[in-house]
Amino acid sequence: MPALANIFLFVEPDDNYLDYGSTTLHQIVESNKQSGQDITELMGAEANPTKIKAVLAAKNPLFCSMIGHGSESIYTCQSLAPLLHAENVTELALISGRVLDLCSCLTATTLGPALVDSGTTAYVGYRQEFWFYIGDAAGSTRAVNSPFLAEFQFVASILRGKSTGEARTAQLAKYDEEIAYWTTGEGKNHADASELAQILTLNKSISVFLGESSVAPSPQAGTLAGMQINPAITFGVAAIPLAYLIYEALI
Amino acid sequence: MSKELVNRWYSKISSVERNLPLLLVDGYAYTPQMAYDEVNRGSVLGAKMQSLIEMGKFGTSSLEEQAIAKVRLQTILASKPQDKPLFATMSNKVFTAAQLMDEINSGTLIGQQWVNGEVSRMSALVKVR
Repeated sequence: MPALANIFLFVEPDDNYLDYGSTTLHQIVESNKQSGQDITELMGAEANPTKIKAVLAAKNPLFCSMIGHGSESIYTCQSLAPLLHAENVTELALISGRVLDLCSCLTATTLGPALVDSGTTAYVGYRQEFWFYIGDAAGSTRAVNSPFLAEFQFVASILRGKSTGEARTAQLAKYDEEIAYWTTGEGKNHADASELAQILTLNKSISVFLGESSVAPSPQAGTLAGMQINPAITFGVAAIPLAYLIYEALI
Repeated sequence: MSKELVNRWYSKISSVERNLPLLLVDGYAYTPQMAYDEVNRGSVLGAKMQSLIEMGKFGTSSLEEQAIAKVRLQTILASKPQDKPLFATMSNKVFTAAQLMDEINSGTLIGQQWVNGEVSRMSALVKVR
């Protein structure tokens, strides 16, 4: 059965510094989710292989975004528990027919291509180390959030109804925006501005998109977002037939 | 040739960046601060640096560019607390400024990743308008 649109799974472990990414991802989900979307966030200890597999089987989401430590051929979640191995066809099949955003190191070299070869519709990941800043507490400053604001712009755009290709374009633009913020923008005099610009430059340069660019995991979200019409305009349009009837009655 | 272009460029660069080596002229590295001073003095050296800025270039060979990138990273990282974890990766690695400096000095894959990234950043910096 094909994976279902408007159903989302977010995997947000919080140990081994993963709370830095998970905190930002949670905020992005909260601020971009649309009505009619079925969203599951597996947070902290719940971000384990058993729960993830259960949600995939029960809800069959078209879109998944997962944070976790990785290597060329393995993705791990909470407590460094492996979920996906590039050579394990049963595990690769878990993601078949879905769009996967994998915030994890190195997986674009082997695991990402293996996923797409085995039927994953689209994959976003990194072919070298994905860097982030831990100079402040998780989620507490623009500095710690910045690498993840760029990375998860892909998620934000998908939640708002964009296609995978459009979301990828928005993600790369967000990287440029964050780099500019630390280079010439308001953040340029932050004590660690140079390293933050460096981290973002590195992450952007190793970011990889594979697969289909025309899939919209939440198509009606885009339609609904486009239908947010000013109430005054709505009233004006509704009043036209009434005005015509009055005109007809008068002549 | 426009002195104003250099002044505008200089005004957009952060105070930290103004004092990091960026422009290579005749085998020597100069900071944006030096470029600003020399251009406004109207010196021959200033004219050469102005020309580089206008072209959006900062060096001559990739070897020289990598050498300056390394010096810049060493300068930046030496100014940080040496024992506080500042950077992490999604492969479960954590680095203090001192540990990252070791990676760069030893030429490991991670060190090389940072040097290459710094070259890209230098290229973007000199093109700031």
